[in-house]
Amino acid sequence: MAYLTQPDYVKYVCSCGQLKPITSLYFCRHCLKIRCGFCICHEVDSHHCANCLENMPSSEARLKKNRCSSCFDCPSCFHTLSTRATMAAQRQAQDPAGGDAKVENKQTKKMYYLSCFNCRWTSRDVGIPDQSVASGGWPERTNPFLSRYNQLLDYYKAIAQQEKQEKLERERKKFAIRGKYITLTDKTGLTGAMARNIAGLPTSESGSSAAIASFTPSQASAEVDELPDDVYTKDVNLKQITSMSQRLASPEWQPSSVSRLHPLAKLLSIKRSQRCRVCDHNLTKPEYNPGSIKFKIELLAYYHVPEVKIISYETVKPGEKSALLLKLTNPTGHEMQIQLMQPEDLPPVEEREEPKSIEKSLEKSLNLEKDTSSYRAIERVAELGSSSRVTAPEATLTLAQRDDAAEYDDDAQQDTSDFILWRKSNKLALRLEVTTDAAATPGAPARAALALQYSYRNTVPPAPAAPQQAHHTLYTTLLLDLGVVSG
Amino acid sequence: MALYEGIALIQEKQAVVLDLGTDYTKFGFTGEAAPRCIIRSEFWCPSERRYKRVYDYRTPEELYDNLVNMLHLLYFRHVLVNPKERKVVVVESLLTPTLFRETLAKVLFTHYEVSGVVWADSPRLCALTLGTPVSLIVSIGAREAEVCAVVHASVVLRALQSQPLAARAIHDELARLLDEDNNTELHLSEQIIEDIKVKTCFVGNRERAQQWADGPAPTPAKSVQYPLAGRPAITVSGRTRELAAEPLFARDNELASLPDIVLQCIMLCPIDARRALSENILVTGGTATLPGLKARLAHELRYLVTQPPYSDRLCIREFKFHKSPTHDNTVAWCGGAVGGAADAGATRALPRDVFARTRRLRDWACLLDNTPPHHPHRDQLDQ
Ligand SMILES: [Zn+2]
Ligand SMILES: [Zn+2]
Ligand SMILES: [Zn+2]
Ligand SMILES: [Zn+2]
Repeated sequence: MAYLTQPDYVKYVCSCGQLKPITSLYFCRHCLKIRCGFCICHEVDSHHCANCLENMPSSEARLKKNRCSSCFDCPSCFHTLSTRATMAAQRQAQDPAGGDAKVENKQTKKMYYLSCFNCRWTSRDVGIPDQSVASGGWPERTNPFLSRYNQLLDYYKAIAQQEKQEKLERERKKFAIRGKYITLTDKTGLTGAMARNIAGLPTSESGSSAAIASFTPSQASAEVDELPDDVYTKDVNLKQITSMSQRLASPEWQPSSVSRLHPLAKLLSIKRSQRCRVCDHNLTKPEYNPGSIKFKIELLAYYHVPEVKIISYETVKPGEKSALLLKLTNPTGHEMQIQLMQPEDLPPVEEREEPKSIEKSLEKSLNLEKDTSSYRAIERVAELGSSSRVTAPEATLTLAQRDDAAEYDDDAQQDTSDFILWRKSNKLALRLEVTTDAAATPGAPARAALALQYSYRNTVPPAPAAPQQAHHTLYTTLLLDLGVVSG
Repeated sequence: MALYEGIALIQEKQAVVLDLGTDYTKFGFTGEAAPRCIIRSEFWCPSERRYKRVYDYRTPEELYDNLVNMLHLLYFRHVLVNPKERKVVVVESLLTPTLFRETLAKVLFTHYEVSGVVWADSPRLCALTLGTPVSLIVSIGAREAEVCAVVHASVVLRALQSQPLAARAIHDELARLLDEDNNTELHLSEQIIEDIKVKTCFVGNRERAQQWADGPAPTPAKSVQYPLAGRPAITVSGRTRELAAEPLFARDNELASLPDIVLQCIMLCPIDARRALSENILVTGGTATLPGLKARLAHELRYLVTQPPYSDRLCIREFKFHKSPTHDNTVAWCGGAVGGAADAGATRALPRDVFARTRRLRDWACLLDNTPPHHPHRDQLDQ
């Protein structure tokens, strides 16, 4: 839980240069690179209503303008509205004479209205009649500007159509090869339109020209909406005037008076799948069921990259050395070799990339270099801005694989090494030394950059054509937040 | 291949229309009468733990990040479609900074991989919603009021006027007047100032404004007690309610008030278009919704045109106004939605592959785009 609320003390450098905590990073098993929300491709996977958890196919969602047909939001405070039932007596005053008949006709019927439990707004406040069915059936309003909008749309579509036709005509005239055969229309001097007219066919562009002819441009008038006369004398009731957010919640109507508020059909939510931009493989793919929070594919960095946590640290002072206690965790199911390094000692990116086979590079060049161009544009150099450096021990540390059963083992094994504090199944605590630059200004945030080299075992079944190696040496850089430089 | 598959292949995905305003962003589909959402141009920034405005940037990278985050919000929280392989109509001001346009192009084409972008300037889109051959578009937004003459679908660029007379100017004045009313420095947030403006302010007529300025002061409108969370309520006096928008009409020697720039725009236009322009005015933009603003502007124009320097240079006496065919704050967006839907083949769009090759956008201010073909320097530019 602490991950969700606390500030991010340890940030990893994504392969695109962004600094993110490990919980918001992904790990592409195909590129063997860390990816983040900034450098991956997001896609809409499925639509659903977050309130009733009803799935909606994309085509239907498009038709319904991404709105749920049975759930509504409060137009006043945007909380979800609840349907409330009342018993309403239905008067059927057809037989006022007979006393017995009166009793029989007095039926009670369940009637429904919408109510907000948060701000007490109800659909009755604005005069919406109660409904006899619990779901749906609420009156729908049409956009007051719709008819004019449609006129404009028809007009400009007709113009675009005509423009296109004229262009075609011009093109035809320009490139028409005069053969030795004279067509009927040429010989008689008939144009296509005239020929159609004689034959009693509708002229080809009649539709568009009619739409153009029938269009009336907007008429300007000398009169402007004046202020209402009572504006200087009337009291202002703030409760009767809507706020900006209430107005903009329904862009079609934008009511300025509270009495014109209408329930807002609930906007659907989506599930997203995420894709690596470089290799187009899925990084996450959610389950279709809206109630499920599980994923079919879930390549999170948290499961693949060694996790670093700060246990504690001494206050950082300019030009001095201070102690830093770190905890390293191996989340994978395989033993991991880790070596701490300085960020500047990392091999450059190009060298780290495995040599590509000829087929692969050919495929890439045929692929209109789509993947790299878009990825390169996003990539940038991370600004570490660290004033402290961590003294990295030369030794390679070995971390055991994750073992859920070992969680219950209490006793930590004491290690003999002078910088290993303790070791417990796949976890390891280190005591390190931080050297701070003498020029660091007191009060500035104290950050230390650290690089990790770690072994990674790829469990993706290798493609039949290219035998892949399963063992890789990967690198990652991280930035530790050590509070502020003290004075 | 089956027939229906072929149709599905030809069928264009419905394009989206993006109007990224300083304060509010309008986003929706072409062919629809209203945007799907109008939201504040800001997003939650988890690393800084605050809402961040798109237009607050110091470096191009920061702007790039802002736009990526904003578009993510728009595509995946509000409109719920894949940005990939879909066209975008971008509604922009003629005075959008080049850095902003180019960064937006980069974000759309490379980050979201849209298939094409139509760059459309808002005055012409507003004119599109009227259908008249000549129109004068007065758009009052968040930061600037822009006056633009659109004659037969082209903008008279040399007559383009722009002044910082819009929502910001009103907010600053309102904050000042509220401090006066309550005898303290209130330091209200921008959101509260906006809310007070929306709920209480109006623009009084010319005579009353004159009286407020020269005295004797007219009877003020009713004052309002505006409640604040966790603080005592503040007084919004009738004077404040009426005078908050006065900076838009304040005249000084520079002749830079809102009615002045309208008349100057007309004055800089060809003489045969001036009459038609003054009779086809459309006042639009979010700030135009302020009650009484349009009426006041009309009165001011009718008065000012009889005064020097306009009286001897303009012989127009009549001003006519159009009613916008939709809400004032979505007129330009609507023009984009109509234009985008009519031009379904998107012949005016800049396709992604062309952008990837040339890496530049057409810009009216650039010599490469505004030098006519027969101009003696054209050859050098084409090299
Ligand atoms: Zn990344
Ligand atoms: Zn629902
Ligand atoms: Zn409510
Ligand atoms: Zn990948």
